Amino acid sequence: MITPAVQARKTATRRRLALGRAIPFGALIGPAFLLVIWSIGSIAGLIDPRTLPAPWSVVGTAIDLLAEGKLQDHLMTSAWRAAQGLAFGVLIGTTLALISGLSRLGEAIIDGPVQIKRAIPTLALIPLLMLWFGIGEGMKVTTIALAVLIPIYIQTHSSLRSIDSRYVELAQTLRMGYGEFIREVILPGALPGFFLGLRLAVTYAWLSLVVVEQVNATSGIGYMIDLARNYGQTDIVIVGLVVYALLGLGCDGIVRLFQERSLSWRRTLAD
Amino acid sequence: MLAVERFSRRRFGALVAAFAVTLVAFSAPFGAEAGSPDAGKLPSKIPEGTVLRIGDPETQRALELSGLINQLPFKVEWANISGGPQTIEAFRANALDVGSVADIPPIHATWTGLKVKIIAAKFRKEPVAHPIYQLGIAPGVEVKTLADLRGKRIAFSPGQAQGALVLRVLQAAGLKREDVTLIELPSKGDAYPVALASKQVDVAPIWGVLVKHYLHQYGADGATTIPHGLRDDPAHLYAPQAVLDDPAKAAALGEYVRYWALAARWVQEHPKEWIAGYYVATQGLNAEDGQYLVDADGQFDIPPDWNDVIVRQQSTIDLLARELNRPRIKAEDLFDRRFETIAANALNAS
Repeated sequence: MITPAVQARKTATRRRLALGRAIPFGALIGPAFLLVIWSIGSIAGLIDPRTLPAPWSVVGTAIDLLAEGKLQDHLMTSAWRAAQGLAFGVLIGTTLALISGLSRLGEAIIDGPVQIKRAIPTLALIPLLMLWFGIGEGMKVTTIALAVLIPIYIQTHSSLRSIDSRYVELAQTLRMGYGEFIREVILPGALPGFFLGLRLAVTYAWLSLVVVEQVNATSGIGYMIDLARNYGQTDIVIVGLVVYALLGLGCDGIVRLFQERSLSWRRTLAD
Repeated sequence: MLAVERFSRRRFGALVAAFAVTLVAFSAPFGAEAGSPDAGKLPSKIPEGTVLRIGDPETQRALELSGLINQLPFKVEWANISGGPQTIEAFRANALDVGSVADIPPIHATWTGLKVKIIAAKFRKEPVAHPIYQLGIAPGVEVKTLADLRGKRIAFSPGQAQGALVLRVLQAAGLKREDVTLIELPSKGDAYPVALASKQVDVAPIWGVLVKHYLHQYGADGATTIPHGLRDDPAHLYAPQAVLDDPAKAAALGEYVRYWALAARWVQEHPKEWIAGYYVATQGLNAEDGQYLVDADGQFDIPPDWNDVIVRQQSTIDLLARELNRPRIKAEDLFDRRFETIAANALNAS
């Protein structure tokens, strides 16, 4: 029902309700703004360099670490660990989400344990994971995979379950087989959730490193941060954090790119 | 009523009998062990394929730099794990055979039900002149002598060497626990200097290069450090009893203790190589900080017998037991004296 008031507003202004055109490199404006505040604060002496070193001294430390070859070594180790954990986590998370999303029995068995894992902090799980998987790479990759599968599962499952029943009825009317139904309806329908989960998962994979690389590691960004803490080298700690920030932002950008390609059939507020 | 009573009395009798049997069964081996702790001889044969999982990164590096690592007569899986909390966790996970710690972790492991024994002990010559720790004083807090600690907030980590040091310092200052506020905080990374700088605590024991950095960064604000004047120098290797009961592993541990002593001497005789190869190359410090740490260490001392060591350990246990309300254990039981002379002999022999 359109009330006279709405009618009046409609005719009075022809303002668009959508977001309008995208700002070029818009994603970088926020981080750049942070960087400017950090720099100005450092120049003006508002930020104590002992608690937060200036951006340029962090860059200097990063250049030193790069020149010694340490930063790239740590990064390679961490990237390989994160990639393995991510791969296993995404695979397991997606599989669990499909099983649990598509059957009542699957949900009964799987959903509870996943929700329990979601409530347990990874840091608190480390002692148990050490008991089960030792202190080597296996434990580290498992920990990352466990952290990663949660957002993948939650988002994919939720997105799958909110597929409009119209489409299910349509599939039924078209007498689709179960395989076709999954391929044509379920998977495309769950894809937006999967991608949101993947964006979170990529970040979780990097975040887990700082935890797992505190246990019997001799390389990796998390190890670098932990070692620097032993000697009170705040600038190296911040280099590690900046690397995390760049990796997070970069990986998120890549996933979003894939997301846009894969979901090009969608017309949403974002477009 | 009567039946119940009879039944319970019979059960009680059975219980007493079972208890007695258990007591006898357990007391026999215990008695033998307590009577002669070093009665058993350390096995010397290391079977082919014996693997030791060692958490002792500094010795590992020294063995690598000196080339001694190629002479080890057994296989090693090195773990980058050291210090009390981490080694105990790894022991429990059955992921480690031997760890490198100070004096407190073996005591705490025993209190938490994990049977361990010390197999090597290293100290510093002139321990009071070359302490590991200094008492860091927060900016703006007046502490010039130990007596000034009265009423201060002191960082305290019960399971770590730092915690025992705080209790010993209080004892030396003639203060009771109630005279100060102990703030429980594990010493991990730079947690203690950070807590001092942000004035979350007034006093905290800090060590190594953190002392230098702390004074450099916050000295202008009034941060200071004072010496505690006590010895804080024990460095131990310790292993779970289960590992020591395995003849192959025990024999390998004996050899490891030998190389551990040789590595310590190599470090002392090659400060330049040690600074460049350890502090600079693997720890990310500069040469100046490395030199500072080498100077702070001074000369090491490996005593040929453990009698004094055990007496000192006992007084530490007594202090901790009293202050932390824990059962008193015998220091003697924490040492595996089969290993007692290995390190000193290794240094004399070559």
